[in-house]
Amino acid sequence: MRNYDVIVIGGGHNGLVCAAYLARAGRKVLVLERRERVGGAAVTEEVFPGFRFSVFSYVVSLLRPEIIRDLELPRHGLHILPLESTLTPLENNGYLAQWNDHDQNRRELARHSLRDAEAYDEFGLMLHQMARAVKPLLAMAPPDPTSLSLRELFGMKRLAEHFQGLGAKRFNTLTKLLTMSSADFLDEWFETEALKATKSASGIIGTLLGPRSPGTAYVLLHHYMGELDGVFRAWGFAKGGNGAVSAAIASAAQAAGAEIRCSAAVESVLISHGRAKGVVLEGGEEIRAKLVVSGADPRRTFLQLVGEKHLPEAFVESIRRFRFRGASAKVNLALGEAPDFTCLPGRGAHLRGAISISPSVAYLERAYDEAKYGEVSRRPYMDIVIPSMLDPSMAPPGKHVMSIFVQYAPYHVNGGWTDARREALGDTVVDTLSQYAPNLKPAILHRQVITPADIERIVGLTEGNIFQGELSLQQMFFLRPVPAWAKYRTPLAGLYQCGAGTHPGGGVMGASGRNAALQILGTA
Amino acid sequence: MNKVIVIGGGTDALVAAQMLARAGREVITIEGASAPPDEGWVPRKVLRELRIEGLKLAWPDPWLTVPLPGGGRLELWRDLARTVEAIRRVSPRDADRWPEFCDRMARLARFLEAVYAAPPPDPLSAGFALRARRLGKRGLADLLRILPMPVAELLDDWFESDALKGALGAAGVLHLLQGPRSGGTAFRLLHYHLGSPPGVFRPPRSNVMDLLHKLPRVELQQAEVLRITVRGGAVAGVVLKDGRELAASTVVSSADPRRSLLELVEPGWLDPELVRALRHVRRRGVAARLRLQLDRSPGFSALALAPSLDYLERAYDHAKHGRVSREPYLEARCDAQQRMEVLVQYAPYGVDCSNLKDAVLALLSEHWGDAQPQHSEFLAPRELEQFEGWPEGQPHHAELSLDQALWMRPLPELARYRTPIQGLWLCGPAMHPGAGIAGAAGLHCAHAILGG
Repeated sequence: MRNYDVIVIGGGHNGLVCAAYLARAGRKVLVLERRERVGGAAVTEEVFPGFRFSVFSYVVSLLRPEIIRDLELPRHGLHILPLESTLTPLENNGYLAQWNDHDQNRRELARHSLRDAEAYDEFGLMLHQMARAVKPLLAMAPPDPTSLSLRELFGMKRLAEHFQGLGAKRFNTLTKLLTMSSADFLDEWFETEALKATKSASGIIGTLLGPRSPGTAYVLLHHYMGELDGVFRAWGFAKGGNGAVSAAIASAAQAAGAEIRCSAAVESVLISHGRAKGVVLEGGEEIRAKLVVSGADPRRTFLQLVGEKHLPEAFVESIRRFRFRGASAKVNLALGEAPDFTCLPGRGAHLRGAISISPSVAYLERAYDEAKYGEVSRRPYMDIVIPSMLDPSMAPPGKHVMSIFVQYAPYHVNGGWTDARREALGDTVVDTLSQYAPNLKPAILHRQVITPADIERIVGLTEGNIFQGELSLQQMFFLRPVPAWAKYRTPLAGLYQCGAGTHPGGGVMGASGRNAALQILGTA
Repeated sequence: MNKVIVIGGGTDALVAAQMLARAGREVITIEGASAPPDEGWVPRKVLRELRIEGLKLAWPDPWLTVPLPGGGRLELWRDLARTVEAIRRVSPRDADRWPEFCDRMARLARFLEAVYAAPPPDPLSAGFALRARRLGKRGLADLLRILPMPVAELLDDWFESDALKGALGAAGVLHLLQGPRSGGTAFRLLHYHLGSPPGVFRPPRSNVMDLLHKLPRVELQQAEVLRITVRGGAVAGVVLKDGRELAASTVVSSADPRRSLLELVEPGWLDPELVRALRHVRRRGVAARLRLQLDRSPGFSALALAPSLDYLERAYDHAKHGRVSREPYLEARCDAQQRMEVLVQYAPYGVDCSNLKDAVLALLSEHWGDAQPQHSEFLAPRELEQFEGWPEGQPHHAELSLDQALWMRPLPELARYRTPIQGLWLCGPAMHPGAGIAGAAGLHCAHAILGG
């Protein structure tokens, strides 16, 4: 039997990043993936013959630049194609477009509001400053505010100094971003409803919260983090779909000597004498290692793979209280022709960008209202991309694939998810979208609808939460996943976590995987 | 010239005036027509510094009566054991958890009380960190987690009974245009818990106003301030509505900051960025008030009609979309003379509330037996603004949301009671701690003036 230094449970992008960093440091690493392919929620699959989809996560932006650099991901095949615009079709056949090109964007905004066009640059600068203020925290294992050890006290002091260094004005803006709702925050800047709605939509992605709920302003910032390193690394798409991101990281890990086994589902963590010693696979195979790192979410890791009897009671209680509440669904369409939007007919540049169904803040709030009480939004928020417009290899010639992120579709839907409900969700999405692009319905060749329950079943994300746990203020930074255990360590010796359920959270960032690896290596 | 003019007649203004007079300043108080909002807890420090004795804090007992859906009532008593027995009839599991919940909330409340007894803390200071550390490991973890949390999540963590969760959750949204599922509302449950014994989650009534009025003081009744005059960036005095001008080198305003700085002060003295920030201070009134004289006791002294968290959330949904709640949340208190005051939420400012009074009376009549209302007065937020002087009908002058609390109350730039205009200071409900905490903002403001 072979012996490993580290076993990584789960071949999602964070698990792979963690494995790559550990392998590069000379550790003998084994990655175990339950599915037949690596990537977790960052996979490309040929769902229908000739049509390839980023089945779950569908864009890249937040993947940390240091990871791309350290792991030399472009050399391993990563190629990012930028999304150049966001189109928001309006209910009155008008539209709002946001462009990466500064002048074009300004002209378009001025069409709606001169004031907003003026404010936009200042807003961009402010968010840029905020992203810069938060950036060092992303690469940090959060200090433990409840600990009295010198090391942690020193960490807290350094953290305070970091914030002090921002100056009063920026610190105040940051605290506002942390505590306000995205809608209130944007109300202070803009007056165009569609602009506020489309921007505030970044604040609700992945959470069961509405744009008027405090705490969503931070999620908005979280989604801006990727726009730091220049326009070209703004929201984009991996050539070959998001599976190509995972493939590049896996290739980097393997090149560094890591071993990856697919179709190897871990049933439990092997524990003896209060220490993780390895894992047991479904089927009974035991694999031993000095350390085990779990890329699964906290509930799955602790309550399923470890088992509560091996953990302190208070810790188990905290893990139970860690909230998931998946609220997002995905609809993937294979299209015979490109959609034609009434508000902007033809196959213009807007089809190479994102399309956001978010005409007003009230629209988003109404969508949320239904989800609060366990119903799917009758008029959901949607974030749409057409990857085949940028990367023709995703669909047969002349045909297209459309990826639709849908909110809100609550995991805890009244009566539970059934096949009928899944299809009803698909109908709702297509009907809503057809109002803006009437040729959509006849153009559909195939349809794949993925509910939060499907996400949980297929990828193993508890309750289908795309961030491995809600990204709300009380589950962030040194509270993620639970206070005192935010440094990737766990109460079980020899067991670490590296998934998005740890700081800084999801969004195909890879930061959790990297931070965990650096903690394990003691080089953080 | 060392004259001080204090604008307003609330506890904060009276406390500030007293403190300044005792420090040797010549103080004039202009009470105006604005009524102080209901005052609850009075920090001990206020009493000690003013050497006031005889404060009485009163909670009804049971401090809350909660009607149950199948008939019957859940009564929450000041006595913990009695409450546990009452809850046991609704949910044995919740009854078992009640004492620990009360204990953990009380610990956090003691911490916040200490924070409120001082000017807003600097969150990055070592002193604040050390004080928070005294909560212990679990207490600190509770604090960090609970402050930003929705009150609904906090209560779902602990309890299963809808009646209990609704009644407690209501304190999280009282006078706030948010629902119990909104972040930052758990903090407000703690806010309303301050000064109360463990297990009592509603503020007391106090006689602090009577005590303050008994102190010797200088005032100008029935006067309204028209303008605060500023010369060369410094306060010169005030102009009254009747045309009189009073000179002063210091003006302390307990009016809401937006009124103080944007209406009373002539435009042009403030940085445009501050003006913009002031305009964005949220102060939306959401509660109408019904006052009744009943002919007999209604059979309760404090009643909350918020049968579940979802009920509250649905009531909020209407308000969020600019309507009056179809089924509003009611909070009623009745004294020994059968005078009842009812808060009705949500009745957003500026929305037609003409049918609301009858709806409220119909809801209440199911719970007060044979009692009959003799007289009644119903004021929607717009009337509360007109008659009580509360901006947009909001008694806290600035909504107590997380981003408008502590060192951000009402804005980070103004949180230390000082304004950019030399000699102009702010106290009142919009200043830390404010929002129903009697006198503390006035005390901290006076200290800032005397210390500076």
